[in-house]
Amino acid sequence: MLIYLGKRLVYTIPIVIGVSIVCFALVHIAPGDPLVSVLPPDASEQLKQQMMKAYGFDRPYYEQFLLWCWRAIQGDLGTSIATGRAVASEVMRAVRNTLLLAVVATFIGFFFGLLFGFVAGYFRNSAIDKIASILSVIGVSVPHYWLGMVLVIIFSAQLNWLPPTGAGPGGSAEWRPDWAHFRHLILPAVTMSVIPMGIVARTIRALVADILSQDFVPALRAKGLSELGIFGHVVKNAAPTALAVMGLQLGYLLGGSILIETVFSWPGTGFLLNAAIFQRDLPLLQGTILVLALFFVLLNLIVDVVQTAIDPRIQRS
Amino acid sequence: MVLLDRRTMMSGMLGTAAASTLDLTGLRAQGSGTLRIAMTASDIPLPNGQTDQGAEGMRFVGYNVFDSLILWDLTKADAPGGLVPGLATAWRVDPSDPTRWIFTLRPGVTFHDGSAFDAAAVVWNFDKILKADSPQHDPRQAGQGRTRIPSVKSYRAIDPMTVEFVSAAPNALFPYEISWILMSSPAQWEKVGRNWDNFLRSPSGTGPWKVDRYTPRERLELTPNTAYWNPARRPKLDRVVLVPMPEPNARTAALLAGQVDWIEAPAPDALQQLRARGMQITSNVYPHNWTWHFSRVEGSPWNDIRVRKAANLAVDRAGMVELLGGMMLPARGLVPPQSPWFGKPSFEAKTDIPAALKLMAEAGYSPAKPLSVKAIISPSGSGQMQPLAMNELIQQNLQEIGIKVEFEVMDWNALVSSWRAGAKHASSRGAHSTNSSYFSQDPFTALIRHLDTTLVPPAGTNWGYYLDADMDARFAAIRAAFDPAAQLAAIQRAHEKIVDEALFLFVAHDVAPRALSPRVKGFVQAQNWYQDIVQVTLG
Amino acid sequence: MTSLSSLMPQDPAKTIAPIEKSPGYWAGVIRRFGKDKLAIAAGIVVLILLLIAVFAPLLAPMDPYAGRTIRRLRPVGTDGFPLGTDELGRDMLSRLIYGARYSLMMGVAPVIMAFGIGSLIGIIAGYVGGKTNTAIMRTIDVFYAFPSVLLAVALSGALGAGIQNALVSLTVVFIPPIARVAEAVTTQVRNRDYVEAARASGAKALTIIRVHVLGNVLGPIFVYATGLISVSMILASGLSFLGLGVRPPEPEWGLMLNTLRTAIYNQPLVAALPGMMIFITSISFNVLADGLRNAMDVKV
Repeated sequence: MLIYLGKRLVYTIPIVIGVSIVCFALVHIAPGDPLVSVLPPDASEQLKQQMMKAYGFDRPYYEQFLLWCWRAIQGDLGTSIATGRAVASEVMRAVRNTLLLAVVATFIGFFFGLLFGFVAGYFRNSAIDKIASILSVIGVSVPHYWLGMVLVIIFSAQLNWLPPTGAGPGGSAEWRPDWAHFRHLILPAVTMSVIPMGIVARTIRALVADILSQDFVPALRAKGLSELGIFGHVVKNAAPTALAVMGLQLGYLLGGSILIETVFSWPGTGFLLNAAIFQRDLPLLQGTILVLALFFVLLNLIVDVVQTAIDPRIQRS
Repeated sequence: MVLLDRRTMMSGMLGTAAASTLDLTGLRAQGSGTLRIAMTASDIPLPNGQTDQGAEGMRFVGYNVFDSLILWDLTKADAPGGLVPGLATAWRVDPSDPTRWIFTLRPGVTFHDGSAFDAAAVVWNFDKILKADSPQHDPRQAGQGRTRIPSVKSYRAIDPMTVEFVSAAPNALFPYEISWILMSSPAQWEKVGRNWDNFLRSPSGTGPWKVDRYTPRERLELTPNTAYWNPARRPKLDRVVLVPMPEPNARTAALLAGQVDWIEAPAPDALQQLRARGMQITSNVYPHNWTWHFSRVEGSPWNDIRVRKAANLAVDRAGMVELLGGMMLPARGLVPPQSPWFGKPSFEAKTDIPAALKLMAEAGYSPAKPLSVKAIISPSGSGQMQPLAMNELIQQNLQEIGIKVEFEVMDWNALVSSWRAGAKHASSRGAHSTNSSYFSQDPFTALIRHLDTTLVPPAGTNWGYYLDADMDARFAAIRAAFDPAAQLAAIQRAHEKIVDEALFLFVAHDVAPRALSPRVKGFVQAQNWYQDIVQVTLG
Repeated sequence: MTSLSSLMPQDPAKTIAPIEKSPGYWAGVIRRFGKDKLAIAAGIVVLILLLIAVFAPLLAPMDPYAGRTIRRLRPVGTDGFPLGTDELGRDMLSRLIYGARYSLMMGVAPVIMAFGIGSLIGIIAGYVGGKTNTAIMRTIDVFYAFPSVLLAVALSGALGAGIQNALVSLTVVFIPPIARVAEAVTTQVRNRDYVEAARASGAKALTIIRVHVLGNVLGPIFVYATGLISVSMILASGLSFLGLGVRPPEPEWGLMLNTLRTAIYNQPLVAALPGMMIFITSISFNVLADGLRNAMDVKV
C-alpha cells in the first residue's frame, strides 16, 4: 500500500507540472501582447515596467514559466486587472463558497443517484427501472443553467418560497450553518445535483445489475442467505466504485460551476471566472483555473488512494 | 422638458405584496430602514474615493461616501440640475487671469474618522491622482480620475480654507472637471498604514453615508453620517446594502422574491411582470446617448455624408422604443431635442426610408449592391442598455437601405479600451464604428471630447479621428465663453453642426429604468447619471 | 503502467475492449439495434434533426433574420408564426430550424474533429508503444486532468469570443478522452497473436494498422465518441450562453436562449423553446449512443 501511495504521488508530479504549463500558457494564447493582457487599459508606464519585471515577458518562455511557478508556490498568483486585488485572496474566498455548493450538490445528487441506481439495478427491466433510467438520462441531457432559470422563475419569482440569488442574507462572509443560509443553497445545489444524479444512477444501475448476475449470488441464495444479506453483499461490492464516482463528481462540479453560479449570482469560482472573462481579466482567469485544476488533480489522488485502501484488488501496477 | 416618469403607485397591492415577501425571504432581522439595492456591476465599486465601475460606482459609492468640491443638484425630477457647492462654498475665476481659479472651502467639515477637511486635504487628494511620485499616489484612482481633469495644470493651498487651481488654458468648463474628483481622508490613510488596500477595509470620506462593512464582490453596507455638513442631506434610512447582480433575470427575481428592494436597469421584457406584482417603475431622461461613433479614418465608408445621413434616416427608432418597452427616448442628436443645448439643426434624424434609399443611390449603393461596414458592439455594459437586441435591429434596418453590417463583438472592457486607443489602433480591428454609450452631462463630455482635433488618441477620445477646423473653432468658443448665455449659444452652434453633418448614428437616449419595491418611498429620480438616496424611506 | 486517469472508475479507457468481429457480427448488431425501440426512436429524431439542418432553407417558412419589432414576442400559436416570434419579431420556427445547423455543428463538429485527431494520436501511441507512448499519453493526461467545462471555459475565455475559438476549445476538450480510448484499444489489439504474427512476418506498420487495427479499434472509439456529442451540445450552448460562442444575429440555440432569457416572464413558452431543442437533441444523442453501445457490444 505504501509503495502504491509513493508511486501514485510520484506520478502526480508531472501532471501538476503539466497542468501548470497549460495555465501559464493561457496568457500567451490570448490574442495580443501578453503584457497588455495583464494590465489595465490605462496603466502608467511605471506600472508597465513593474509588470514587465514581475512577469519577465522579455525573457525566454521557460524562464517566465519558472518565475511564474516560483511566485505561485509562494502564494502569489498575480494581481487582478479589474480590481487590483491579489488573485490568490480572491480565489481562496471563492473556492470556499464553491466547495460548499459543490459538496451539498454532490450529496443530493449522490443520494438520489444511489436510490435510482439501486432500484433500477435490482428490478432490472421493470417499470421502475425504466422510470429511473429515464430520469438519469434526463439528468445528463438537460442544459442545467436553463433548468436553473426555470426553477428560479417557479420557486422564487412566482411561489416566493426560496431566495433566487446570493449566498445568504449577510453574504458569504458571515455564512453560518442555519436555515436562513441553507435556503439560499437549495436552488443552486439542486440544479447542480442533476448531473451527478444522472451519472451516479447510471453507474450504480450497471454495477448492481453486474453484481447480481455474477455466479456467487445464486450460490449465496442457495446457501439460504436472506435477500437483505444479498443486498448487503451488493452494497459492499458497489461501495468502492460508488465512492470514487462521488469524489470525482465533486471535482467536476467544482470545475464546472460557472454556468450555475452565473445564473444564481453565487459568489464562488464560477462567478469569478465569468467576471474574469467579461472583463478580460487574464491574471484572474489564469489563477482561478490553476487552483481549480490542482484541486481536481488532488481529488483524483485522494479518490485513488481511498479506493485502493477499501478494495486492494483495484490496485494495479 | 418631457418627463418620462412612469412611477405607478399601485396602492391596492402595496400591503399584501410587502407583507408576503418579508416573512418568506428569511432575511436577517434588520431594521425596517434597511434599503437593499441590486446593481448591474459584477463587483462592488471600490470605496477608495475615486471609485471604479463607471457611472454606477460614482452613483452608489462615489457620491454617497465621498464628496467633491462641487456637487450636482439631484433634488429635481422635472428639470436637469446644475452644479452646486459641495466641499467648496464658492469658486471664481480671477478676472485678471482667466486660467486662475480660486476655490473657497467649506469650514467645519470633518471626515468620517473625525479628522478635519481643509486645503491641505484637497492638495493631497489631487496629488493622489496626478502626482506619480507622491506617497499617496494610487494607480487605481489615478486611472479613474486623470482623464477627467485634462486641464488641471497646477494647484496649491493659499490658506487652510482656500485653494488655487491653474488651468492649462482659459476654460469656462473647468468647474465640471473639478466635480469629478472625490476627497478621501488623508488622516485615515495614514492611520491604516499608508496603504490603499487597507484603506478599503475602513474607508473614510465626508459624504452622507459611511462604509460599515465591505465584502468584495458581494456587498457593501452603508450607515448614515449623522454629522453630515448639509442637514438637508442627512440620510433617513438606517442602512443601505449594495449588492452586485450583473444577470438581469437574477435582479428581477431578487426583487420579486423580496430579496432586494431596488434594482437598477430591469430588463424591458420583465417590466410587465414587475408592474403586475406591484413594483414601482421609475425612469427619467438624463444626459446619456447611445450612438454609433463613426470612424473618419481614410477608407471608412462613413466619410460620405450621404451614407451617414441615409443611415440616420433608416433607423427605426419607434420600433426600438417598442423593443425596449418604452424605456428610451429616440435620439435626434447627441443631446435630447428638449435640451437647451440642442439648438436648431436643419437635418432631422427621423425615419424616412425612401429618402434614405435616395441618398444611398446617390452614393452609388442599393440593397442589391450593398455597402459593407464593420461595427464594434458589446454584449453588455454600463449604460449600454440592451446592446445585442438594439444592434441587431439596426443591422436589419440598415440592410433595407443597402448597408450590410458585420459585427465585431467585444466585451465591454475591451470595447472601452479600444475606444480609448482609437479607430486606427489594432484593438479596433479595422472597424468603421464603435458603440459606446456616452455620458453627456457637461459640454466637454457631451461634445468636445469626441470631435476635438487635439483630442485624437492617445491624447484623448476622438476615437474616429474627426479633424475639422471649423468644429475646433466652435469648441474654442465654448471654452472661452465665461458668460452663461454666450456659452449656451456657443454650445448650440457646435451641436447644430454635429447634427447637420450627421457625425454619429443617433439612436437613443436611455431613461434609466429602475424598479422599486412598493415599500420604497420618497425617491426622486433626477435627470442625472447620479442619484441621491438620502431622502428615501421604507414604508 | 499506472496512470492517474486509468484508475477512474468510469474511465472508459479501463474497460473498453476491441470488438471481436465474429462472422455475422454486423448482422448481430443490426438485429440487436432493431430490438431497441427507444434507440430507434432516438435515431429517428437525430435523423430528422439532421435533415432539418440540411434542408433548412426549404423548410423554414420565413427569413430567420428578418423581423419587425412591432410583432415581437408573439406567443406560440400566433397566426403565421406557429411558434411565436423572438425579441426582434423574427419567426421562431424559422430560427429554430436554422438554429439546428449551428447547434448541431457546434455539438457534432468538435467531436468529429476530436475523433479524427484523438484516434490518430491514440492509435499511434498504442501501436508504437514504449517511450513514445508514454510521452504522448502523459501529455494527454495533463489535459484530461482538467474538468471538461473548466478547460472549455479557460480556452475560449483566453482566446476570446467567437465561433471558431469555441470550436477549437471544444475540440481540445474532447481529444484527450478519445485518444485515451483509442490508445487503450490499440494496445490490446497490438498484443493479439495475429498482429504479433503479422509484425513478425515483416508486414508494414501502415498495412497492419489498416488491416488489423483500424477494423477492430474504430468501432469502440466511434461508439464512445457518439456518447460525447450530447456533452458537446450542452457545453457549446453553455459557451454561447456565456457570450463566448456564436455571434448575433446567427440563430444558435444557446445564443437564442441567452437573448430570450429576459422574456421568460412574458412569453415563457417561447423563451423555453431553444432550451427544449437543446434538451431533445442532447437526450436523443445520449439514447442513441446507449443503443449503439449495446448493439455493438462495446463495454464503455
